[in-house]
Amino acid sequence: MLNVKHLSVNLGSSAGRSSKTLLNDINLHLGYGEKLAVLGANGAGKSTLLKCICGEFSNYQGDIILDHLSLKFWSGAERARQMAVMPQKVELAFPFRVDQVVALGRAPHGDELHSTALQRAAMQCADVWHLRRRNYSGLSGGEQQRVQLARVLAQIWRAEKNADGRELPRYLLLDECTSALDPAHQHSIMQRVGEFAGQGVAVLAVMHDISLAACWADRVLILRHGEVLACGAVELLADAQLLAEAYALDMPLAQRYAQQNMGWMQA
Amino acid sequence: MPGAAIRLQGPRLALLQSAALRQALLIFTAAGLLVLLILLSLRTGPVELTNAQVLQSLWNAITFADIQGQSDWVVRELRLPRTLLAVLIGAGLAAAGAVTQGVFRNPLADPGLIGVASGAALAAVAVIVLKDSLLAFWVVVMGPLALPIAAFLGGLAVTLVIYRLGTRNGQTQVATLLLAGVAINVLTGALTGILTYMADDQALRSMTFWSMGSLAHGRWPEIAALSVCIILPLCFLPRFARLLNALLLGEAVATHLGYRVQQAKLWLIAVAALMVGAGVAVAGMIGFIGLVVPHLLRLLIGPDHRVLLPASVLLGASLLLIADMIARTWLAPADLPVGLVMAVIGGPVFLSLLLQQVKHNRG
Repeated sequence: MLNVKHLSVNLGSSAGRSSKTLLNDINLHLGYGEKLAVLGANGAGKSTLLKCICGEFSNYQGDIILDHLSLKFWSGAERARQMAVMPQKVELAFPFRVDQVVALGRAPHGDELHSTALQRAAMQCADVWHLRRRNYSGLSGGEQQRVQLARVLAQIWRAEKNADGRELPRYLLLDECTSALDPAHQHSIMQRVGEFAGQGVAVLAVMHDISLAACWADRVLILRHGEVLACGAVELLADAQLLAEAYALDMPLAQRYAQQNMGWMQA
Repeated sequence: MPGAAIRLQGPRLALLQSAALRQALLIFTAAGLLVLLILLSLRTGPVELTNAQVLQSLWNAITFADIQGQSDWVVRELRLPRTLLAVLIGAGLAAAGAVTQGVFRNPLADPGLIGVASGAALAAVAVIVLKDSLLAFWVVVMGPLALPIAAFLGGLAVTLVIYRLGTRNGQTQVATLLLAGVAINVLTGALTGILTYMADDQALRSMTFWSMGSLAHGRWPEIAALSVCIILPLCFLPRFARLLNALLLGEAVATHLGYRVQQAKLWLIAVAALMVGAGVAVAGMIGFIGLVVPHLLRLLIGPDHRVLLPASVLLGASLLLIADMIARTWLAPADLPVGLVMAVIGGPVFLSLLLQQVKHNRG
């Protein structure tokens, strides 16, 4: 499982002058098969939290524990075989084809050429199989996002086994992975990600769309100004007071959102 | 259902295999072309030779036999060193170009354009001019490698400066990169000029050599030093091909895929600077090979570095061989600087690339 303990991130000098607190004392637990949505207003620290967990940013206080071992002791290659990360937007420097981009997801395992069936399944899962021969740069924003999702799914499509034959846990981190998708794809993709979690993958998704979070997540973590405002079951999203605080909304508007979320949860 | 889909053994990706076939074909063709060009280059020149003579001389060279007659001497002491020089330098420059473009994530990041070569030239000229005074200790310590290593350090320094100037958050700013390159080219060019004027009249003439590039000055000792500085890094590069592929998606994604990106980038920059520096130390500044060859290959086989790197080595060597043959036969008996020939070929390619980028940024 993933455990975040007293995580704090300060930018700037350590002497305190002009230092900015991005995250302050975050605690978080994510079990296998769980779907956690991280929510909050712009600048609340959602992406920073994700960057810390995925190893992109290592200058933090506190500890992040993956499978009983602090993240600091994981090598990049080991981590990549169990944890896949989907960033918000990926632009390509040179024109790769879609299937080549997806094959890169197998790079941590070194079996790009021997896992074609798996890559195909991942591409079908993200609904990009028909685009496989297209040039990535020529795709629309939403199509590019789906290709990235296929790459990320291919990376942890099946669990690695350790020396004793025990299946190693898998983690999937998503950073607003549906921001450029149409509603139909938003829901179908999140449903596929949910099925993935059903296989025992721990899924943490930074999300912008509260309603999508309401109908998808098991649990939510709501951040505000770098601190945990609330953490608990998805039903929290039906709490108008909480939404008003989290997003600095007017009460009537917050009530409308809460009601809408209630509807999504029942759906 | 993702789990169930694995068990569906679909047909293997036919495209992957046909692409692999195309790539293998290209590598073989390029290798064959290079061999043919080497033989042609050994034949070409004021003294007409037959294929049999050339092959006989090559065999003599391999078996270290004594030189037998004029034609043997021409091949082994004049044409073979020059041909090998062209092959080594062309290979090194093209590979260095592919690598810097991968690291900077930009097709315009050519070692010549961004000032790496001129930094290397400055360091090399400094060693030549100051070898009896200021830099005497360096020449004593480094021995025969003094020149290439100095050029490597000069090139490395410029690359690091350019990288600092032109890159924000792992994203290369093309305009900053190119303009910083122009500025550094001007600065190092001026310093190189001042150094050559500090030296004697003889050195004045070699100013032309440094700025235009020529393969006329390579003899066996230079080739020995050069081959160490180019072949070793080339052997090292395939290990980084996958990383360079991952880097196409950005530094963050490469980190997520488990690569130690910052460390690898430093290695790659150093390797590129070593190959460019060594080439510059022997042949002066020869531009555009690192720009033209990888660009052409990306159009043909795509940007997969596992193929792009070896193909660049082969095609870079071939291109410089062709340019050198043009250089020494076109206005014979005059020996044109090969850098001029490359500039004539490379300038238009650079311009078209630039226009493409402008269009891309607007669209």
